[in-house]
Amino acid sequence: MVTETDSSSPDDIDWRSETSSAEMSQRDRLAEFYEQSIYEPAVVAWSDVRTRLGIVILSVYLLMALVEVLGLWRNPAPNQAPRLLAPFVNMQYPLGTTQSGVDLFALIVDSTPFILLMVLAGGVWATSVAIVVGTISGYKGGTVDTVITSISDFFMAIPGLPLIIILAIALSPENPILLGVILTINYWAGLGRSIRSQVLSIREASYVEASRTMGTSTHRIILKDVLPNIMPYVMVNFVLAARYTIFASVGLYFIGVLPYTGQNWGVTLNNAYNQGGLFTLEALHWLLVPIVAIVGLAFGLILVSQGMDRIFNPRVRTRLTGKSESVEEESDNENTSAWV
Amino acid sequence: MATNTDTNTSPTDDTASKRVVDDPILEIEDTNVTYSEGDTYVLEDVNVTIDRHEVLGIVGESGSGKSMFASALLDAVPDPGLLTGKIHYNRKDGSTVDILQMSDEELRQFRWEEISMVFQGAMSSFNPTMKVGSHFKETLRTHDKNVSEGMEFARELLENLYLEPERVLDSYPHELSGGMQQRALIALSMVLDPEVLVMDEPTAALDLLMQRSILQLLDNLQSEYDLTIIFITHDLPLVASLADRMAIIYAFQFAEIGPRDEIIGNSAHPYTRELLNSTPNLDAPLEDMQPIEGEGPAPVNVPSGCRYHPRCQLATEKCRTDDPPFSPVDGGGGHRSACHYREEAREEIPLNFGKTAEDFDQQLVSDPTDGPNAGSTATLETTSDTPLLSLDDVEVHFGEEQSLIERFTQDPTVVRAVDGISLDIEEQDLVCLLGESGCGKTTLGKTMIGLQKPTGGSIEYRGHDIWEAKAGNTDIPYKEVRSALQIIHQDPGSALNPNRRIADILTEPLRHTHPNIGRAERRDRMHSLLERVGMTPAGDFLERYPHQLSGGEKQRVALARALLMDPDAILADEAISAVDVSLRIGIMDLMLELQAEFDTSFLFISHDLSNARYFAEHGDGRIAVMYLGEIVEIGSAERLIHDPRHPYTEVLRWATPNLDLDAMDAEDPPIREIDVPDPVDPPSGCRFHTRCPVAREACREEQPKLAELDDGDGAAACFREDPNHAYWNSEPLDGAAENPEGLEQH
Repeated sequence: MVTETDSSSPDDIDWRSETSSAEMSQRDRLAEFYEQSIYEPAVVAWSDVRTRLGIVILSVYLLMALVEVLGLWRNPAPNQAPRLLAPFVNMQYPLGTTQSGVDLFALIVDSTPFILLMVLAGGVWATSVAIVVGTISGYKGGTVDTVITSISDFFMAIPGLPLIIILAIALSPENPILLGVILTINYWAGLGRSIRSQVLSIREASYVEASRTMGTSTHRIILKDVLPNIMPYVMVNFVLAARYTIFASVGLYFIGVLPYTGQNWGVTLNNAYNQGGLFTLEALHWLLVPIVAIVGLAFGLILVSQGMDRIFNPRVRTRLTGKSESVEEESDNENTSAWV
Repeated sequence: MATNTDTNTSPTDDTASKRVVDDPILEIEDTNVTYSEGDTYVLEDVNVTIDRHEVLGIVGESGSGKSMFASALLDAVPDPGLLTGKIHYNRKDGSTVDILQMSDEELRQFRWEEISMVFQGAMSSFNPTMKVGSHFKETLRTHDKNVSEGMEFARELLENLYLEPERVLDSYPHELSGGMQQRALIALSMVLDPEVLVMDEPTAALDLLMQRSILQLLDNLQSEYDLTIIFITHDLPLVASLADRMAIIYAFQFAEIGPRDEIIGNSAHPYTRELLNSTPNLDAPLEDMQPIEGEGPAPVNVPSGCRYHPRCQLATEKCRTDDPPFSPVDGGGGHRSACHYREEAREEIPLNFGKTAEDFDQQLVSDPTDGPNAGSTATLETTSDTPLLSLDDVEVHFGEEQSLIERFTQDPTVVRAVDGISLDIEEQDLVCLLGESGCGKTTLGKTMIGLQKPTGGSIEYRGHDIWEAKAGNTDIPYKEVRSALQIIHQDPGSALNPNRRIADILTEPLRHTHPNIGRAERRDRMHSLLERVGMTPAGDFLERYPHQLSGGEKQRVALARALLMDPDAILADEAISAVDVSLRIGIMDLMLELQAEFDTSFLFISHDLSNARYFAEHGDGRIAVMYLGEIVEIGSAERLIHDPRHPYTEVLRWATPNLDLDAMDAEDPPIREIDVPDPVDPPSGCRFHTRCPVAREACREEQPKLAELDDGDGAAACFREDPNHAYWNSEPLDGAAENPEGLEQH
């Protein structure tokens, strides 16, 4: 509810008065920031069943990462348990064990922080480069646009997988962040192009022209007028890039291109496959557990990405945070699809 | 409930309507459209009969349910809307069907073959990847008609609409101008020879001249093909020239229906009367034009009793509680109105148009130098100072991009959007740019405020060249120039960033003008200004997002945003054409009041002479008429309207609908061509000569210069001003009048 402004006295300061020197207090800013950037998005996100499920799933992975970081579960080691124990039989090893007697749950938990860091790095790298490239070339246009588009065309033309394999062999990245960046090394090019096309249409909007007329700086226009409008699109693509990172890493671990110390989801998958997990029922869980872990993470990300659209939509925001009712504008545009 | 009172009186309704409607084609009974499981009505208790071969004009503000009525006639209410009631359609052979009982297949046949519809915005009705001709063929094929016969008929229709059939059928939609597309769409909707044509704002996206021309054509089509036309619009004067009967919709109900002359001249509903009074037109004295306070209700909170009572000046306790019956006025005649106080309405709300037109003319005749010319003489006096903005021979040419090979083989295609315009704008001046779409008025406006770089000529702000200032070559900082010249856009929907709250949007200009103020002070400033532009409670509005405001409110915020920059000149680019008719005068008044308060100049762009007149006459400004990149006439509003010197100004005056019943059945347009020539290849000589009704050979060769008038204020670019010009001795062009009356040599 908004009451504070109504109590202020509008008579004291007219819209034409001279500047006074009162500064906005730090506390006000924090309160405003909390209200707009944390509370409202959270309410909107939680209101949707799918997003809620996605948040729950991702929280499980974060919890697993926390368990590993705090060392609450045993580290995986050979012969720490009976061999090929089925899941949910012995609650000491809830997800069963491998052929060499390694606790599968410990295996999965062990590499969770690594995977999450890698996924985050991949997503952040791909989308942030794409945003910078796309908004600048889309908004600026002209020569800047031509140069940037040519460069991203060049990157798009390089076949991704061989490039990643070569880079992986050359750099042998064991740092998850570096690995994430390498996996999405040329992902930004395509995404940057599509962001550019979105920016092209926003650039022509009246409100952008109004900001330009006021003499607002380019970076502020991009930040305040352009970015918020492409944010839903960007967030969905962030999630897609993150998902791509998981799949790419798992695939590359599986075919054995990426260097590794110890085991992770992809390596586990590879081991299970090599030990005949596809053919014997006994080893099936060994194969299934990493698959479920991978699919679960991707699924959680996708669910959350669907909610992102709602978070950035001002209509949904105002409706759910109960600010005030919308003016329902009965649009006069009729749907022509109804007949013919 | 509304239903009860209405059903009580329905027997009298029926008898009343039967008396005048002998051969009804559509009988609509107790029809409702509801959403949210019957909670919200978007069309309520409609009981209307539509006569065969009549033109029914339906007028309503945006969001009043008028489009829903059109959809209901075709049983095409968009989901999840629920349509109930009875809509009887009487076929030519006398059989009757209820449209709402039809199966999907029957409906498919019925639509387009019996009742056809023309939508607003031809742009989105045509598939951009298909040629126009293919649309015709596909329609014929879907309805199992003989394609070659159908195409023959289509050609005939197109010809009747002043289009070249072969050229139009063989082009893609984007190759046609907006007016051509809309006419092609009308032809498409008639290709199956329907009985009824439902037109939903078919001309809203076009400018006035094209609208009027299309209406003229519709009139001809209607009599030639025995059509029944239901014409839905927000523009009352526009449809008045075409309609036999008119209906007014307010807040999802019919407020009034009756013969056109009754509705215009003797209406019995306060809303209709106030709507008539609030419509800017050319005849009424300015001080009598009054906006209607408030706005139409949303479907979720419709007022109880009479829906109009919150805005009505005659409302009493009875209006608040009792829903007035929609019953006959004056014992029938087909005129029905939903108001408790019809007689009072007629007495209390006098109609403003026409009644003082004579006084007005007399005053002009008896006092030719004083009133109308006061403004221009005032501006002439101040010309000794440096003007606020000075345009000197400004040209804006847009060149199409060429490939490397084309650069050697072809001349570049250049659109001359603005071609050699010189104009001075003083401090606190007011200039209206008037013209058809594509005449370069927006480009000129944007050039004036430094958003568009001219390709030739110069534009100076207080004696400093704007583009030199941007390059940093003058002693005036560009920042100062930039904040001095502001803009208000046409479409309030896209003028505000949908992702920012009003407070954030208004903070932006304050960051420029008062960079160091605190949050509370910023709030206070926005608060007081919002209250000044009529948005209360301001604190509540500040927290809203743009989608929570109505169109008029958005435009007020855009105005507030421009004013917070403390500008010297504001460009209002068609700033009111997207706002409801009943609110236009309110916003124009506000702009004029604030102009005085803030000492700004206004550049007002419009295609509507009546809006320009209201603005220019109130603000003591000038109107500049533009045609294909040039100013053809400039002068005070009074002189332009009562004594137009350029034939094009006269055409625009014809295109402006008025509410005078005698003059309403308009004569043919005083132009020879409906469509504007291609600006890529403008006509030689006088650019208007291809359409000018009095063009002669001389006009084809020589280009007239904008010359000061000897016996009036302003200037005009026409040879007819010079009594000794070779024009008078040359031959009239094909189709032009030999010696048109009333246009003799001065």
